[in-house]
Amino acid sequence: MKVKLLQLAKVPKRTSFFGLLTLCLFLIIALTTDIAAQEITVKGTITNEAGEPVPGVAILIKGTTSGTISDIDGAFVQDVSGPEAVLQVSSVGYRTQEIAVGSQTQIDVVLVEDITALGEVVVVGYGTQKRSDLTGAITSVSPKELTQLPLARADQAIQGRTSGVYVLNSDASPGGETIIRIRGLNSINGGNQPLVVLDGLQGGEPLLRTVNPQDVESIEILKDASATAIYGSRGANGVILITTKHGKMGKPVIDANVSVGIQSLARKLPVMSAAQFANYHNAMAATNTGGGNTPILPFTDAQIAEFESPSYGFGTDWQDVIYETGVLQNYNLGVSGATDKLKYNVSTNYLDHKGILKGSSYDRISLRTNLAADITDWVDFGMNYMFTKETYKSPAFRRREGISFTAQAINVAPRWAATEPVYKEDGTLNLFHNPQYGANDTWNPLASATEPEMDRPTYRNNVNLFLNFDIVKGLSLKISGGAILVNAKERDYYNLNTNEGYANNGAANLRDANSEDYQNSNILTYTNTFADKHQLTVTGGLEQLYGKWYTTNTTARNFIVDQLGYNNIGGAQFLTTASYAGERALLSYLGRVNYVYADKYLATFTYRADGSSVFGEDNKWGYFPSASVAWRISEENFLTGSSVVTELKLRGSWGKTGNQAIDPYQSLARLYSEPGDWGPDYPYNGISPTNTGFAIGGLANPNLKWETTTQTDIGLDLSLFNGRLTSTIDVYKKVTDDLLMDRELPGYIGISSIIDNIGSIENKGLEILIGGDPIVGNVRWNTSVNLTANRNKVLDLGTDERISYSASFGGYSMSNDFMILEVGQPYGTMLGWEFLGIWGTDEAEDARSYGQLPGDIHIRDVDNDGDVDLDDRVIIGNGYPDFTWGWSNLLTYKNLELSFLFMGMQGVDLFNQLRIRRESYEANDPRVLNYWTPENQDTDQPGLIDGAYRESQNLTSTVYVPGNGRGGEVSKWVEDASFIRLKVITLAYNFDRSILSKIGFNKIRVYFTGTNLWTITGYTGYDPEVANFTEQDATIGVDLSAYPPARMYTFGLDLTF
Amino acid sequence: MEKIKITKMKGLMFVGIVFFLLTFGCVSLEEEPKDFPSPENFYKTEQQVISALTGSMGRLYSQWDNYSYPWGAFHTDYDATANLVFEASHNNWIWRAHYGALAILNNVIQALDEGKTEVSEAKKNELMAQAKFLRAFNYFSLVRGYGDVPIITEETDIVAGEISRQPISQVYELIISDLGVAYDYLPEEWDPALAGRPSKDAARALLAKVYLTMATAPLKDASKAQLARDMAKEVMDNGIHSLVPDVHDVFALNNKLGPEFMFSFNATPDDIATPPQIWLPWTMANGWSDFSLKKAWTDAYPDQPRKYAYMIMEDWDGTPYEDYSNAPNLRKYVYNEREDMERLQSWPNIPILRYADVLMMFAEADNMVNGGPTQAAVDAVNLIIDRANDGVANPNHPRTTTSMSQAEFDAAVIQERCYELFFEFDRWYDLIRKEILCDVWDDQPDVGPNCNEYDYLWPIPQADLRLNELMTQNPGYTTPD
Repeated sequence: MKVKLLQLAKVPKRTSFFGLLTLCLFLIIALTTDIAAQEITVKGTITNEAGEPVPGVAILIKGTTSGTISDIDGAFVQDVSGPEAVLQVSSVGYRTQEIAVGSQTQIDVVLVEDITALGEVVVVGYGTQKRSDLTGAITSVSPKELTQLPLARADQAIQGRTSGVYVLNSDASPGGETIIRIRGLNSINGGNQPLVVLDGLQGGEPLLRTVNPQDVESIEILKDASATAIYGSRGANGVILITTKHGKMGKPVIDANVSVGIQSLARKLPVMSAAQFANYHNAMAATNTGGGNTPILPFTDAQIAEFESPSYGFGTDWQDVIYETGVLQNYNLGVSGATDKLKYNVSTNYLDHKGILKGSSYDRISLRTNLAADITDWVDFGMNYMFTKETYKSPAFRRREGISFTAQAINVAPRWAATEPVYKEDGTLNLFHNPQYGANDTWNPLASATEPEMDRPTYRNNVNLFLNFDIVKGLSLKISGGAILVNAKERDYYNLNTNEGYANNGAANLRDANSEDYQNSNILTYTNTFADKHQLTVTGGLEQLYGKWYTTNTTARNFIVDQLGYNNIGGAQFLTTASYAGERALLSYLGRVNYVYADKYLATFTYRADGSSVFGEDNKWGYFPSASVAWRISEENFLTGSSVVTELKLRGSWGKTGNQAIDPYQSLARLYSEPGDWGPDYPYNGISPTNTGFAIGGLANPNLKWETTTQTDIGLDLSLFNGRLTSTIDVYKKVTDDLLMDRELPGYIGISSIIDNIGSIENKGLEILIGGDPIVGNVRWNTSVNLTANRNKVLDLGTDERISYSASFGGYSMSNDFMILEVGQPYGTMLGWEFLGIWGTDEAEDARSYGQLPGDIHIRDVDNDGDVDLDDRVIIGNGYPDFTWGWSNLLTYKNLELSFLFMGMQGVDLFNQLRIRRESYEANDPRVLNYWTPENQDTDQPGLIDGAYRESQNLTSTVYVPGNGRGGEVSKWVEDASFIRLKVITLAYNFDRSILSKIGFNKIRVYFTGTNLWTITGYTGYDPEVANFTEQDATIGVDLSAYPPARMYTFGLDLTF
Repeated sequence: MEKIKITKMKGLMFVGIVFFLLTFGCVSLEEEPKDFPSPENFYKTEQQVISALTGSMGRLYSQWDNYSYPWGAFHTDYDATANLVFEASHNNWIWRAHYGALAILNNVIQALDEGKTEVSEAKKNELMAQAKFLRAFNYFSLVRGYGDVPIITEETDIVAGEISRQPISQVYELIISDLGVAYDYLPEEWDPALAGRPSKDAARALLAKVYLTMATAPLKDASKAQLARDMAKEVMDNGIHSLVPDVHDVFALNNKLGPEFMFSFNATPDDIATPPQIWLPWTMANGWSDFSLKKAWTDAYPDQPRKYAYMIMEDWDGTPYEDYSNAPNLRKYVYNEREDMERLQSWPNIPILRYADVLMMFAEADNMVNGGPTQAAVDAVNLIIDRANDGVANPNHPRTTTSMSQAEFDAAVIQERCYELFFEFDRWYDLIRKEILCDVWDDQPDVGPNCNEYDYLWPIPQADLRLNELMTQNPGYTTPD
């Protein structure tokens, strides 16, 4: 392996890949300028859509080899044979235009950026390629798409715009994480996050989240094995390559962008008014007559009269109490430029986001410097440096951070009664709910939102340096080294007004997490063309990555003085401290051969060998090959002259990639200690302080290794009518074997499981991308539709037939397995009881056989054995969509620009867990007012049945479902969460260049954007898009009350001078 | 031309550098643990052994977990939620928790056996005695709940092969052998700072309980009654443990390490038990009543001071329970201050062995040995009855007498155990070993019909059956295909 690479490296001088491109360009220029048969002289200027001059554009007379290129001011002069001549104007990254000369002598051309341009250069792993030379499935997001929108984050730019990529906001909190899945879910425990590579620096999701979208030149998404196998054991989940902007030749450009957005809660859950609530709860309590009880009614007649009086109004609307108007401000300033020897791009960004949930905010300060310099004519040097400081604050939601579910404002607010005041009469917060009804274990949601004190800055330094040597013509060596250094601090204090603080007499958490990741890549690239027809590029090299982290956690409880908080943990009576550390290393050898014959037949072979520290003693090395071929049918003689088909390419690839995203030391036998109430600590001596305990953390597995994904892809690229209609279609099949899973051990071993390579999962999919320009001319319409369908199936789970996940936090009577992975079933499968409605009076006999009465919930007895128990559960839903799609549009008319993006999912279910609470004994959802009575039988809400009457019927219930079906894993809570959403719409105006130049500006653009303005969905929770991701892919589809999304209106201004 | 030559030369030099890098990548792929010990390097010091014993108890008892929130496990007649419907997963956690603790203890015992721990012989024996006491306790819980169980000791090579269930009698052999070591080497008393650890009296009491269980169902080895009686008598004669005189103070927090409590699941202010809300009615600290008493049972409970000491008959505002609840709630584990309870803080110990239990074990065994109640047996039980009545004769709950028949006295003792020890870890096992499980539900139509002979043993977890062909299921429960 090593020797081969070196032999390749020593092959002597030829032209470099870029050299070849340049050479081609110069050849064209040289040839075209030499020929002379002038009759008319045409002049003109070439500008881009922003009105900026574009130098270096080729202007060719169609059908000849003569032409010219535009100069630094975008100007050109060309003699043509006569009015019948047609000019072909082309430039990399822009659509080729043909202009009939006619009687014109002044032809000004506005170039249209070509998002799917075939001539464009695409960034691939460890190099670049012409798009036309690609044999793999790679999707690009162009800067055009990135800058059209006032995006705070680059990850949002991918959403809805590309096929094969599933982008979800895991929550809509300011700075919340985005979940990106490329081509389905391959892994159960190894993680499904794609590898993110920022200017060659390899890292995770934070790279994508923290990079300022204004700095991004392009985003490439590598999907098939041909494209990703070069990343070996980190490539199985796809790779996202981000390239940031470099300075461009010309005078310095100063960019300034400002935008301000106003946010509000997109959708409020309906709740009962105080009067409705009091009446319903009294009616419910009145049924409590069993066992000779006299019912105790929670509300007196006087209270009800008060609630019903018009002056009382609705009561407390807790959602209004905890949500407010959010404000997002984004400021950006950048300077870029280039001289002969030096390219520079420096920018700074400040983002300040106050969320719609009180107490939540995110701000980010970032600084980026990109430098590239020619040291000599054969050595150049570059540096990318990025510093960011992010500060994230949010009250807890879902089940983050171990905050009790009783104190999660988002979950609790729609459960608290309108009858509850926010403040007590003495002006202090009304911390506890009246315990006589409903959610008496919950905490005042306003206090939960606003009382915790938090300071959570994260500092990131990303630096990447490279030296590039053009050793001989055609052979270059790039040595790069980089580091990602992260320091994340958390300082939280929960005072006596919070649930956590109250329970612990003040509670503080301090966390200091540090990580250092280093990377070194040494890549040799050789490129050459033999006999004009054989174009060869060989890439090979070594890469090594090393990472380590160390974290300290301190929790403090029982504070003598409440006010000092986390600044005085010495004043706390109980302190627990823990620290963690670890390291991991990866050593890799990689190689790639690209071969193109006559621009027609293309082949790519890649190979990577990865040695990873995290795997077992006996399995340290993994090997990942791939091969792909492509045929540009449009280059065949029978199509070269076609006026319809511009490009037609058929691609096929096969390869293996791996996933080693697993924590270190899993292959070693280990003991562990863990402070806190749940670990092995225990007061063995009987008195404080608690004794430190050690327990067995895991058993040794020297065979542990990476997961392997074998992927086959067949794709078609089509471009018609000079690129006015383009399409890319891919079908793929992936099988992931050797899944890293916890192999269950018999209970008598004493350790529940050992991590092992068992199991297998399959993903199959279809991706369609169609783009085009249905209207050109004064009014232009550019549109693009993408559609993705992924089908996932568990093939093997080793010794298990089924793995289950509870997917709930406490208090929902969901103690049974709910989300399951089962052989033959896809990810996201929900297991539970089927809700058949409410027993009607005409079904009294059937109901009675289950110990039920008319008005009770009817759950399907699948096996007809007379009881409804665990054996009667069936698959009641799936949280993974059948299809995802997006439709993006850009309409321009003169200086006006209208863009909008629709996106959606079809065939996806969500388990609306909050309904269990809101529709059972807590009853705050107005739906329950439609409860069953003998007169109102057409309802899905159970009746209020008198306890004494029930007792008199002498029934023993055989429905072993929590709350007789009012709680637990019942299909009633599964809702179709398909949606169609107008994700974003922007109206922009570009001021005329002619006006701007007088006042010293190159560009002024003003825009107005609406986000999440319109949604069609049948889902009745907060939001169908945000809700369905929990921390485990296998539990996708359970709405655990994540931070709901906001509707946003943004005004922005872009200035360039 | 000159220049190009230099370029080439330097280029070749860099190729040389790359050759170097390609050959030697400088990262190491070997793993050295950073933040945890590997088992080979552990159990070297006394403290490390103690931390493992601690971990074994932590496996059984932590907030919201296992024995800290266990009551759904024991479907006893005083428990409002008991229904005797046992799914195949019923009480799997008990199996896993005890075997989890045993895995840790076996490592400790093996390390001590191999002399890995660098301590004196006396210290080693003391550590071994603690480890074996705990191992005996874990196996005792398993054998009573599941019957035949796999015996895994420090000598078992789990990796080597599959293991089958061993007869109950063999499990008891191991328990008695382990308790013999505990008996020999545990100290009579620990330093007050270590008072939560098992003492020699705890070993005696546990031995008494083991023998008494062996003397009753399912083994019914009558010869063990004498041994049970003698062991209990040793505790009584030893004078270290005694009844707390005032029944209202039995569960007071300052009595949680003695004189009556002998060995318990411990909780402390910095390692609290599951929040007290699980016990409380909604009028007290927003209680949840997760574990509450059955109305029929509390109605039948004799009206005596003990009832007010062990049950919440009225809330903090003096409201009688009838006004807010069906039945009184349990008071035993909510002796913290009101302020603490409102803050979800509680740190009672839940006794595993306490002196009242020893007195009644003595009485029960003595009655078996002598064919009827002796004065000593009657005195032992009457100590508890007198305390329950605050020393005043109470027609609702009279003393036992020597004129009772053997069967009458036996029934009285078992009933007294229920009144005194309810919501500790005894009633279920009493119902099993006295074979009266279904009898106590006779007049309760909501539960009674669910009772059957299979309920005497819990199901073996499905995973164990699925992963080991040699494992067998207890009758009445499903076996995976």
